[in-house]
Amino acid sequence: MKSTRAIEPWVLEPLERFVVEAGARLTLVMTPSGQVIAQHGFARAVDVMAAAALGAGIIASTSELARMLEQAPFSALNQKGESHGIFLSGFDSVRGQMLVLVVYGAESSVGLVQLFFEELVEELRAAAPPPPEHRAVLAADFERDLNESLATLFR
Amino acid sequence: MVADIKAMTAEMARDPDSLVFLQLGEALRVLGNLDAAVKVAMAGCERHSDHADAHDLLARVFVDAGNFDAAHEEWERALQLEERHVGAHKGMGFLLYRLDELDSALDHLETALATDPTDESVVQALRTVRAAAEPSEADITAARASGEIRADVFAGFDGAEEGILLVDGQGRVLGGGVRNASGEDVAAEVAAYLAGAAQEAERAARLLELGVWRAIAVEAPDGHLHVSQPRQGTFLLIKRDRAVPPGRVALLAQRAAAAARTWLQAEER
Amino acid sequence: MTSRIGRALDGVTRVRGLQGAMLVSLDDGLVVADALMEGVRGNAMAALAASLANRLSLASASSGIGAPQFLHLQADHGVLLAVPGPEVTLLVCVGGADVNVGLARLEMLRAVEKMG
Repeated sequence: MKSTRAIEPWVLEPLERFVVEAGARLTLVMTPSGQVIAQHGFARAVDVMAAAALGAGIIASTSELARMLEQAPFSALNQKGESHGIFLSGFDSVRGQMLVLVVYGAESSVGLVQLFFEELVEELRAAAPPPPEHRAVLAADFERDLNESLATLFR
Repeated sequence: MVADIKAMTAEMARDPDSLVFLQLGEALRVLGNLDAAVKVAMAGCERHSDHADAHDLLARVFVDAGNFDAAHEEWERALQLEERHVGAHKGMGFLLYRLDELDSALDHLETALATDPTDESVVQALRTVRAAAEPSEADITAARASGEIRADVFAGFDGAEEGILLVDGQGRVLGGGVRNASGEDVAAEVAAYLAGAAQEAERAARLLELGVWRAIAVEAPDGHLHVSQPRQGTFLLIKRDRAVPPGRVALLAQRAAAAARTWLQAEER
Repeated sequence: MTSRIGRALDGVTRVRGLQGAMLVSLDDGLVVADALMEGVRGNAMAALAASLANRLSLASASSGIGAPQFLHLQADHGVLLAVPGPEVTLLVCVGGADVNVGLARLEMLRAVEKMG
């Protein structure tokens, strides 16, 4: 089973390349509201949902801190643990802002992750199709979309 | 642990498609509850038959239950699905070591280490299997006398068995040998690390627009290393004392690379 | 960047053919300080050189010769050179294929001494 999956097909190829080059163990591509667009390496839907919500929350709170300090939003966050590091960053595209959460191991480094993250951003920006026409979102649609997304990510 | 198992069981009941069976099966296996672990792993394999981790889990449970043939089948299946699955290569290494098929066991463990060079358990397993694979002096003498040992790729080169190593792109030893200061054979370990380093050299040269990489020279307190690529995807390591000037090491590397190319061509025929 | 490190890096870049020198954090692959010519990708150089050095350290240590004191990656159009720097850093240089590697090595070792 391939461990990289995407709801939006144009994300898949750049993400697969990124995972190999950066040596990422886990990766999430998501929207600022925590909706997952693609994932690599997660085994459980519950972990994806929790990580996406936490990642989006961290970006939201640091952006607010930056706003209070009258600074531009932080471009990236990195936390290094004993055996893993976590890298979190965002970028703008025609599909709006996107966030990427990466967990990497000792065989990689934040330098490598950052380097190939820049390439990922360029490739995703180039591949992103224009957003679909706006339609009203109903609670039932949201629930169905969420379930379909999770089914795609863990097929 | 028991609370975790309860929580995971509840999650499985809520969502039978959940991949939490991987952690649940492993937790049951570690606790020694093999009947339950087999059930969980088999159900997981049925629902997620194209998931290599599911087959890896089932194989580990089978091993604990003493059913080695079934474990072999599951790890083979995992490798069909994901040819560089570290757990499956480790498992196959273990099974083949048990069967005394040491060369095949080494192949699997070297692939596992090349895939994840940070996995200490693989390094340890490689040491054990390497030590077991080491033939006794009497065996070597007997084999030489009977002509069983073919001329090695670097026959006639000074230090051919302790300081010249030919490695494939997956970190497996093709010829030669390397020994550390205590005389231990460290070829498998060095080969696995070397392939990773050579691949990184290729990527660095490409992304920094330096062109095709030709050699890496390393100076260290107790010796020199010289790494080159006699052919695309095949790496040659020369290890020498600090007393040997780096220029001479480079010349030796050129001669050894020529010998390696000739040997590789002959092997392909 | 402290002026001491900056001066040491500038000294290294005076070697003919070198296009830049950089102090890199070995664990993170990030730039600590640099003196680079325009067009040299500093972040790529830092990340890749640190990764290469770490991987070669594993091969070097397991072969029994100890930790690398000097690395030289030779490619068709240039070289990448590295020596261990103060604390857990790496002094990395990139240059053309015709650079005098012996001289560059000496200057790099001197620069590390100056950095303390």
